Amino acid sequence: MAERVLLRHLDVPDIHKLDVYLAHGGYAAARKALTTLTPEQVTEQVKASNLRGRGGAGFVAGMKWGFLPKDSPKPVYLCCNADESEPGTFKDRAIIEWNTHILLEGILITAYAIKCHTAYIYIRGEFAFGARRLHEAIAEAYKAGFLGKNIFGTGFDLDVYVHRGAGAYICGEETGLIESLEGKRAYPRIKPPFPATYGLFGCPTIVNNVETLACVPSIIANGPEWFKSIGPEGSPGPKIYCVSGHVEKPGLYELPMGMPLRTVIYDYAGGIRGGKKLKAVMPGGSSFPVLTPDEIDVHMDFDSMRKINAFLGTAGIIVMDEDTCMVRALEIIDRFYHHESCGQCSPCREGTGWLHKLLLRLEEGNGRPEDIDLMDRIAGNMMGNTVCVLADAAAMPTQSFLSKFRDEFVAHVTLGRCPLKKNGTGHRQAA
Amino acid sequence: MAVQFSQETYRQFEEVLTHYPTKRAALLPTFWLAQEEFGYLSPEVMEYIAQLLDLSPAYVAAVASFYTMFDKEPKGKFHLQVCTNLSCTLVGAQQIVECLEQKLGIKLGETTPDGKFSLSEVECLGSCGTAPVLQLNTGDYYENLTPERVTQLVEELAKQA
Amino acid sequence: MPKLTIDGREVTVEDGVNVIQAAERLGIEVPHYCYHPGLSISGNCRMCLVEIEKMPKLQIACNTKVAEGMVVYTRTPKVKAAQEAVLEFLLINHPIDCPICDQAGECKLQDYYMDYGAYKSRFPLEAKVRKRKVVDLGPHVVLDQERCILCARCTRFLDEVTKTSELGIFSRGDRCYIDLFPGKRLENPYSANVVDVCPVGALTHKDFRFKARVWYLEKTQSICTRCANGCNIDIYHRRGEMFRFRPRYNPHVNQYWMCDEGRLWYKALQQESRLTRPLLRGAQGFTAVTWDQAVNWVIEAITQAQATTTSGESAVAGIVGAKATNEEAYLCLRLLTSSCGTELVAGLSWSPPQAFADDFLIKADKNPNTRGLQALGLLNGKVAVTHILDAAEKGTIQVLVVFAADLVTALGREAVEKALGNVKVIVLDTDYSGTTEYADIVLPIGTVAETDGTYTNYAGRVQRVRQAFPPPGEAKTGWEALSLLHAKLGGASYLSAAEVFAELAQTVPVFAGLTYGKLGNHGVPLASLLPEEVRGAASA
Repeated sequence: MAERVLLRHLDVPDIHKLDVYLAHGGYAAARKALTTLTPEQVTEQVKASNLRGRGGAGFVAGMKWGFLPKDSPKPVYLCCNADESEPGTFKDRAIIEWNTHILLEGILITAYAIKCHTAYIYIRGEFAFGARRLHEAIAEAYKAGFLGKNIFGTGFDLDVYVHRGAGAYICGEETGLIESLEGKRAYPRIKPPFPATYGLFGCPTIVNNVETLACVPSIIANGPEWFKSIGPEGSPGPKIYCVSGHVEKPGLYELPMGMPLRTVIYDYAGGIRGGKKLKAVMPGGSSFPVLTPDEIDVHMDFDSMRKINAFLGTAGIIVMDEDTCMVRALEIIDRFYHHESCGQCSPCREGTGWLHKLLLRLEEGNGRPEDIDLMDRIAGNMMGNTVCVLADAAAMPTQSFLSKFRDEFVAHVTLGRCPLKKNGTGHRQAA
Repeated sequence: MAVQFSQETYRQFEEVLTHYPTKRAALLPTFWLAQEEFGYLSPEVMEYIAQLLDLSPAYVAAVASFYTMFDKEPKGKFHLQVCTNLSCTLVGAQQIVECLEQKLGIKLGETTPDGKFSLSEVECLGSCGTAPVLQLNTGDYYENLTPERVTQLVEELAKQA
Repeated sequence: MPKLTIDGREVTVEDGVNVIQAAERLGIEVPHYCYHPGLSISGNCRMCLVEIEKMPKLQIACNTKVAEGMVVYTRTPKVKAAQEAVLEFLLINHPIDCPICDQAGECKLQDYYMDYGAYKSRFPLEAKVRKRKVVDLGPHVVLDQERCILCARCTRFLDEVTKTSELGIFSRGDRCYIDLFPGKRLENPYSANVVDVCPVGALTHKDFRFKARVWYLEKTQSICTRCANGCNIDIYHRRGEMFRFRPRYNPHVNQYWMCDEGRLWYKALQQESRLTRPLLRGAQGFTAVTWDQAVNWVIEAITQAQATTTSGESAVAGIVGAKATNEEAYLCLRLLTSSCGTELVAGLSWSPPQAFADDFLIKADKNPNTRGLQALGLLNGKVAVTHILDAAEKGTIQVLVVFAADLVTALGREAVEKALGNVKVIVLDTDYSGTTEYADIVLPIGTVAETDGTYTNYAGRVQRVRQAFPPPGEAKTGWEALSLLHAKLGGASYLSAAEVFAELAQTVPVFAGLTYGKLGNHGVPLASLLPEEVRGAASA
């Protein structure tokens, strides 16, 4: 790919500043959209581009916008989901901190398309620097007339507010985010109704991920065909891959959607650290099944991943080498879901804690042979039976670890200790 | 009521109210303002917020308890929060924790007797490519940590205190 | 009116009904914890999962509104597995302390465990999440956080019904617990309803804790007589003793709720002050007599008074308290007007000045049947109580019958003392009172729990009470006692309260057409008496 879109700050220093952004064509797409296209035409173009939600679910963005009721008497809200908290994921943070205006421009174009005049950027509380960057960029944009009243002289008004979370993974679930924004405990809502009809403050609402919104200006600037020409047709566009764990060069890589996982790990991230062997990969954050080395030729796009019963998720690729204890890894994963379960639905509230305790016991060498099947059954009972998918997000890695690395779990039981004894096998308190 | 926002904070609070069609939606921003001003969310502070936003004190406290970044009790001046989620643990978060525990003489979840340092483990901070990472208070990230780097950080902070 | 099929059986229900309610119409139970018809849908317990054709995943029945042609299955293997799983999740951190739990016998965990569970615990006790036990929440309610399944019924009640929000759910995940704000208490006038909505033993009522195992108690439909609202209740009792009142659903009156004061009102009905034998005043004060002796004394007093009357004015008068049932008030009226030939009958509806009231259930009128007495013409100002007392003081009346009314509390001792010095006072009441001190004869009658009858609430709704147990000792139900006197004076005798009510309905036009059968479980409003505030209770 020529110049990067989402990680453009790597090619253009200081692009988070408005003057630099403008000097490199910034807000031209927004101007084009607002002054030459109708909201419907903008939506059409985004739909035609087949931009799919980068938050993990992969829903076609233009189609989501299309679910808004026509001519609702209530105001329409846009929520930018900047609650990036999926383990192994750090792409939105880069856009927010270093390519700030492309996000604001994406919000402006999207708000215009969905006839929204108030947008909120819900940013996780930990991203204090990102929130500061957003405040600065928003102030610049207001001053330049890209936000506020009568933008580009078109009569279109838009206010954008930054709303900080405060440490709760579940706020990344779109209805949890809405509840949190309303000043509540972030309990995901029962659906239906979906946010498009009954969202923030009971009004039609669109929730889009940072990376999704950051793709929008380039679609308007270069046309949907350009966007579709990048990566596979079914889920096209530029994509940020987040690589972490046991690789030589962890970091962010903006590449076309659909790159083979192997290529990302070995050609871009420099392969396994210290020349070790690959043992396992979480390809899309920690909420989905784990992959083994013989599965990494899969292409990283929404549809290809589904074919091997995996998920693209956030493309947060966590790489584990041969010395990694899979019991310990799963214990960390399930500790996370135990810590983050909102506590609303009984299967998730009780199941996440139960799984974590069984894993701790196993790791400490006190596991019972029946615990392995028990964990599998608990995970199975959690899956699909709750208000939101956090329960599934805990269950899927659990079941995949248990089936793909079963021997290692059994060895923990029979030996009464970790057979590897490396990589953070130190004990810890339950979360 | 004993606690009250300063004039400047109250002005900010009033500004925040204009962002939302309901008062309740201003609850999290108000928590942030209060934590900034009072250090942590004591029962008195929460009752004050309840009054400002026409909410019941129990409601306010229940919401606060949902979010881990809102402190319900005083923390050390420097709250070191080490991410121990998967990516960070794979590249040595445990050693960072151990190093800090040793250096500070406290365990995770504790505060030094002089009230300068608190140490916690936190879940993924979204800095996995620059792991291991810690967050200082509710602000800066310290990335690509090594035992040497955190030792140095603690020493620098100790001087500031 | 969509028609749907549940477990192969068709049912037609109104729009807006959910699958739990639709199944109920067919007698099919869909187990649930968090769903409560009087509260918003929360959908958190996941116990009511059912299979619905054309839906890939199981759906929660509470949040699924019926639709035309919907096909629901509540007993498939998939559903059963999910129910079993949910129960298991709810029980892993539950203390399983049923032997010392006050909820035993009416606990939905116990019930469903027997019906849907039946497996052994897979989680060792020592690993359970520990929380606080016996948390004192307020004057009425105690919380056990370990037994709580976080269904959020209590918090929803306090958020949505009383709008006081004293309780919150704190923390996250399996560390969640219900609690108050530090230093605050749960003490709104309706606080104990949280105990009723709690499906498990997490919230218990201080007054009822450890008093009785519910399976030993009988339950009788009744009406709370603490005020004029007429909240529908069940009386829980055993061997003539009441243990608690609980609200009974009536969409027109109290929905699912009642006030805390009313809930404890049963205590006022079984105090030491209860009258259990007819009492005749002699030189040494009261002596117990038989009903025969007492009735003969009363009849003689009345006939004597009638015989010696000189002025042509009535020598007999009566005062009926607004805690009398319609049947009792009607019989008093019959007795005094037809059999004693007096027009001097007045109703007495007294409440303490500035009695507490709100815009929900609690009324300032602390009498259960003021409206009923009005309907019978007893409170229409034609004959005032003060007028009767004046006449008594002047000596124009010789016999005063006081039914279920305490003149001393209402009018003051001085007024009563002046008036009643020279008349024979016949008191029919449940308890000793200031007025019984002036009685020449006292006939003991039953309380609301001990009689059949009806009350007409503030809004004009006539509602039934049913006899839970007979009056204590030799006391008789009010209508029986009055019927006895009536018959002795040559009038009709009645076999049941229903018979009295039937006659009342025939003779008093506003009650026309009503029968016990028609009153059903929710009562019927007196059409011609509908006051403006009728909409009050239902919409409040």
